[in-house]
Amino acid sequence: MIKKLLVANRGEIAIRIMRSAQELGIKTVAIYEETDRFSLHVMMSDEAVCIGPGPRKDYLNIEKIIHAAKEVGADAIHPGYGFLSEDPDFPEKCRKAGLIFVGPPSDIIHKMSSKVIAREIAEGVGIPLIPGTKTLPQGEEGEKMAIDFAKKYGFPIMIKAVSGGGGRGIRVVNTEKQLLSELKLAKSEARTSFGKEDIYLEKGIVKPRHVEVQILADNFGNVIHLGSRNCSIQRRHQKLVEIAPSFLPKEVDKEICEAAVRAAKLAGYKSAGTVEFLVDGDNNYYFLEVNTRIQVEHTVTEMVTGIDIVREQLRIASGEQLSIKQEDVSVRGCAIELRINAEDPKQGFLPSPGIIEVYQSPGGHGIRLDGAVYQGYEITQFYDSLIVKLTVYGFTWDEAVDRLRRALDGFNIIGVKTTIPFYRAIIKEPDFRNRNFDTTYIDNHPELLNYREKEDEMDKLARFIAELNAYGYNPYI
Amino acid sequence: MLKDKTYKEIIEYVKNFDGYLLTNNERDVSQSDFKARIMPWTTLRAAATRDMVGYFAFEVTGGASVHVDLMKKQINPFEKLRLIRKSMPNTLIQAGVRSHNLFGYRPYSENVIRKVISQFAKYVDVFRVYDFMNHIPNMKVVGEEVLKAGKVFMPSLCFGIGVDHTNEFYLSKVQEIVNLFGSDLILSIKNFSAVGTPERISDLIKVIRSEFPEIPLAYHGHNTDGNDLARMVAAIKAGVKIVEVCDHGYGSWYSQAPALSLIQLLEEYNIKPKKLNIDAIIESSEIIKLERRYYAEFESPFRGIDPLAHAHRLTGGALSMAYEQAEKLGLLSRINEIFKELSMVIMELGDIWPITPGSQILWSTAVSNILYGRYEQPSDDLKRLLMGGYGPFPFYDPPEWIYEKVFKKEIKSRSSLKKDLKSEDIKKREKEFENQLNYQPSDEDLALYLLFPRDFVEFVKFEEKFGRTWLLPPDIWFHKGRFENGKRISFLDDRGKHHWIDIISTQHFENTVKTSCLVDHHFKTYTITIKNEQKT
Repeated sequence: MIKKLLVANRGEIAIRIMRSAQELGIKTVAIYEETDRFSLHVMMSDEAVCIGPGPRKDYLNIEKIIHAAKEVGADAIHPGYGFLSEDPDFPEKCRKAGLIFVGPPSDIIHKMSSKVIAREIAEGVGIPLIPGTKTLPQGEEGEKMAIDFAKKYGFPIMIKAVSGGGGRGIRVVNTEKQLLSELKLAKSEARTSFGKEDIYLEKGIVKPRHVEVQILADNFGNVIHLGSRNCSIQRRHQKLVEIAPSFLPKEVDKEICEAAVRAAKLAGYKSAGTVEFLVDGDNNYYFLEVNTRIQVEHTVTEMVTGIDIVREQLRIASGEQLSIKQEDVSVRGCAIELRINAEDPKQGFLPSPGIIEVYQSPGGHGIRLDGAVYQGYEITQFYDSLIVKLTVYGFTWDEAVDRLRRALDGFNIIGVKTTIPFYRAIIKEPDFRNRNFDTTYIDNHPELLNYREKEDEMDKLARFIAELNAYGYNPYI
Repeated sequence: MLKDKTYKEIIEYVKNFDGYLLTNNERDVSQSDFKARIMPWTTLRAAATRDMVGYFAFEVTGGASVHVDLMKKQINPFEKLRLIRKSMPNTLIQAGVRSHNLFGYRPYSENVIRKVISQFAKYVDVFRVYDFMNHIPNMKVVGEEVLKAGKVFMPSLCFGIGVDHTNEFYLSKVQEIVNLFGSDLILSIKNFSAVGTPERISDLIKVIRSEFPEIPLAYHGHNTDGNDLARMVAAIKAGVKIVEVCDHGYGSWYSQAPALSLIQLLEEYNIKPKKLNIDAIIESSEIIKLERRYYAEFESPFRGIDPLAHAHRLTGGALSMAYEQAEKLGLLSRINEIFKELSMVIMELGDIWPITPGSQILWSTAVSNILYGRYEQPSDDLKRLLMGGYGPFPFYDPPEWIYEKVFKKEIKSRSSLKKDLKSEDIKKREKEFENQLNYQPSDEDLALYLLFPRDFVEFVKFEEKFGRTWLLPPDIWFHKGRFENGKRISFLDDRGKHHWIDIISTQHFENTVKTSCLVDHHFKTYTITIKNEQKT
């Protein structure tokens, strides 16, 4: 078993990884940039190393991180999500430095990060693909291929960056004119964002649901799935609300879960990963992509299966077999996860940096919090604005939604704007309550932003008392 | 319970009641003696015991109170009524209405009057309606709407003394009322100025009773001159069924005389109280006595009965406001000079009744006359009065020289002055409200907005920011100075839950004050920027 683990990440995921490691008796090491020295993950670790002045560039510096691991005598590195988690160079350099990388090896990451290769693997195990092109050639040839594709499959069409991910580098076009003009922009954006301007086309699925399957694979050829998730509620391709299970018809759910396992086996996958699908209104499913990291929303799967995914990752990385077999996995109830960010939804979800003056959180049955802040912590402009990830469990969908409402009402966060009132609006919205949503949900419900922020009645009165106290008299009489 | 009966059944009950009934007029006590500042906290504290007294009605809204609720107490007048209704299920709720001027100072259009009355009628059982010109048509729309809502209509005649204030005059007014509304009503005599001898009151009541025996009578008096107990006894002996009183706990001067004093006095005349719980009267006042200290700063600078009321004839509320205004203008030492001028102005302006909004017009004219010369700086309201905007003068028109002085060459003939009030575009106002506050107003919101547009918007903004501040105890609401560290502010909410706000620390910076506190045991900190122009 790993003895000392360096977590090459920050915030809630770093803490979440440390928790599982600590439960396994593994010492934990945090890394931090100077600009992030007051982060909660630094406090929660057994040891911490400053890897540079920051912001953001040192967390992306493989050499500095490996150096830090060697310096403190760590024998493994967990990359978390984001930052270097899907950089194929990272596991390779760890291997060369004699460190265990908690995640898939470089070649797997490389294969899966190329959408084209990933599609080939999926096709190889019989997973339907969304009709699409190979990488478009340069110039007029590429434009001709795009027009021919449009004529064959019709609009809408998605233009995607080969190296894109997480919803970035995707454009939807509805006319030929738009297609030609957006091709140029998409290439330029792909070059700027991902270093390569390679793009390809896919047929757009109307009102699709985003469904994904969590898989776990060890080094002994054992691959299992932990059920499905529905991550359809997205804003600009970024997931906002994640649910487990996906609530697909039973046979469809079984089919995609088994297909995901087949794909992972064919790819020789190791560690935790996610196979993503789009499902149309008739429950036809199409392969989307594979994510080779632990995902933000893994908590919903943990809640409905009871399995600690990070613990399994650490065991696999330590060379152990999966502790569970497919038949041991059962999905019970329903879990919903939200990212509570310091953002102002009414201002286009603009980050709202500032000091968390008050932080009080809900508790009780079925509520899980993966937090990244504490009272007095300053959310800076340098990093993501996640305050806490809220995951609730309910025996039924309705119970989970009711619990979610109660949990959101139980937060008291003062000092920054948060996404809580926006989520409250979602919970009240009938389509959400009836589980009638797809990836167009947010775009089709602009009224969700018309919420009025609710302040606790007694807090308002306390504000009034502060007003009296400031003036030394009641200025309102 | 009376409130579950129809208005006709209530009137029948009053008519056949073998004895006298009391109405507690806290609204008038608050307005006359405490600048309308009695907070809902106090009213609600005494509500349960008052409800056990057996009062016919409890007047708690109307008059200036609706406006003051919004401006100075920061409570929605309808929310107040809901709270009172809940706390006093056995007592009728009464409102004082200034005829077509409603709860304001100028006439409202017919559609606004209907909207407002229909909303108040959801909570109010008895509408006591008066017109300061005693011009009965001014009551028409209000009365129609009250009767349409199935509530008790109580038209009130403003009472005065003087050569023209004869029985014949008042009888003609009662006849006008009957012609307009029929006889299913309670007629009230409104002796706001605390004038007239017991004999005069008795005589008037007897005359009205003999001419209109089917109409039960009520008497609303003030004790400004100290003689109202005697007048009430005379009224009851002459056949009045309802008289208006106060709780002796308030120790009031310019408002109604205490219930208990009246009961005791009547017993001397062998008129026994019926269906009245004396212990509850005493207990209510014990509660109120402890509350009264919160309002000391709002009492008149001159406390005590005022025999000069016979000359200046100001109603209780107007009198205490007059003192306050005179003090602000530095004219307190010249108050009697103003009172003399006021007496003259009243006579010059048709011997009308100095009660709201007339009292304000007459008083400000008197003050202006003292400060700037007689009728040199007439107010718009005075012009409206002279133009007939409040109705015709009841006895005689003001002399021509006043018109010439007030209007100079602005008018050619008096008949061109009076214009009918146009109907309000309520839909437009509703949209205007929505644009300002970003939500669609309820009917109640709209009624308040139509009454006091600017002040209601301010109130909504206040409540949005600070919540229901009326839950706070009056000693906090009227607090002076900073709170000490460790000070605990505790109170009960309207759902029966206790709350507390503990002041932890106060930090004073250049323009800001940071208050840290525990609110129901959770920590809060608020930084307030002091604005110099903050309203005071």
